[in-house]
Amino acid sequence: MKRAIQIVVALAAIGLAVWGWMALHPSPEKAIRSRLNGLAKTLSFKAGSGSLAQAYSAEKASEFFTPDVDVDVNLSGFEPLSIQGRDEVMGIAMKARSRLTSLKVEFPDMNITIAPDGQTAKVNLTGKATVPGERDISAQEFNFKLKKVNGKWLIYHVETVRTLSSLAAEAATSEV
Amino acid sequence: MNTMEPAAPAPAARFPGWLRIAVIGRNPKRTAIRALVLAVFCFVFFKFFVFQYIVLPVRIEGYSMYPTYHDWGINFVYRLSYRHSPPQRGDVVGIRMAGPKVMLMKRIVGLPGETVAFEHGRLIVNGAEMPEPYLKHHSPAPFMTPVKLGPNEYYVIGDNRMNSDQGRIDRDRIVGKVVL
Repeated sequence: MKRAIQIVVALAAIGLAVWGWMALHPSPEKAIRSRLNGLAKTLSFKAGSGSLAQAYSAEKASEFFTPDVDVDVNLSGFEPLSIQGRDEVMGIAMKARSRLTSLKVEFPDMNITIAPDGQTAKVNLTGKATVPGERDISAQEFNFKLKKVNGKWLIYHVETVRTLSSLAAEAATSEV
Repeated sequence: MNTMEPAAPAPAARFPGWLRIAVIGRNPKRTAIRALVLAVFCFVFFKFFVFQYIVLPVRIEGYSMYPTYHDWGINFVYRLSYRHSPPQRGDVVGIRMAGPKVMLMKRIVGLPGETVAFEHGRLIVNGAEMPEPYLKHHSPAPFMTPVKLGPNEYYVIGDNRMNSDQGRIDRDRIVGKVVL
């Protein structure tokens, strides 16, 4: 009996050590997933959050991007938009934020591809935005490119993906 | 004087013995454990197998498939529908974005290799007008110049033609057929 307890305790200790090691040294994929979930959480905000909280979360959100990040937005029905630099991206995000009372951002599907050198990664994901209390949902597919800078995965390129191929949609709207 | 009143029948005695055995078994404790195990098995089986790999429960949001499908309706996407046969014109399908957790719901109107166009609100396939019996109310589609589909491409649009995105999709984006 005593032997059995010793074995169980030893197994539990090994399991705890493995879990601790994995928590401290996550795989690149897990680290990126966690980082992007953190970004979604930072971009979300509740009604009534003050300007100080907004500035803090904007500052926090900027930590997810490289200073020279570029964002290409090409949405159906809108002019293509290209934004360069972290400050400009954050400025536009703050402006958009001021127009909403609250927002919940999620990335429900992420397909992560790590480059062979382990220093860059491409993520194809769905971004979902909901305003709590309202039924409208906005969903958009994106490609994010990330690179490892000082041990942290930072986003250096963002582009929208048209789930439905654009050529026909453009043709459809061109002669309405 | 002592009086004797008939004792109230035990709750179990109100039911015939066979019914009691059929419902709660000879040993209620054992039956409860069996029921619990069965409930856990069913939960795991449906949540992690049936609702992941066979049918995906979906909640419809938006009006692009109106009036065929209403906003906030519940439906299912059958993932195995195109294992042995390709998607057909008229099928309503779930189209994945980066994954199946958020999908677009559209109707297939063009098949691989076909040339699709919309003229005067009518669907034109390979130069001929194509009837669309599945449309409950004819809502004219915006004009679209002919689009030649590739060997693995389908053309999709919502039934609410004036309020729906449309475009080409690759076969691998089709998650399955909408069931109901």
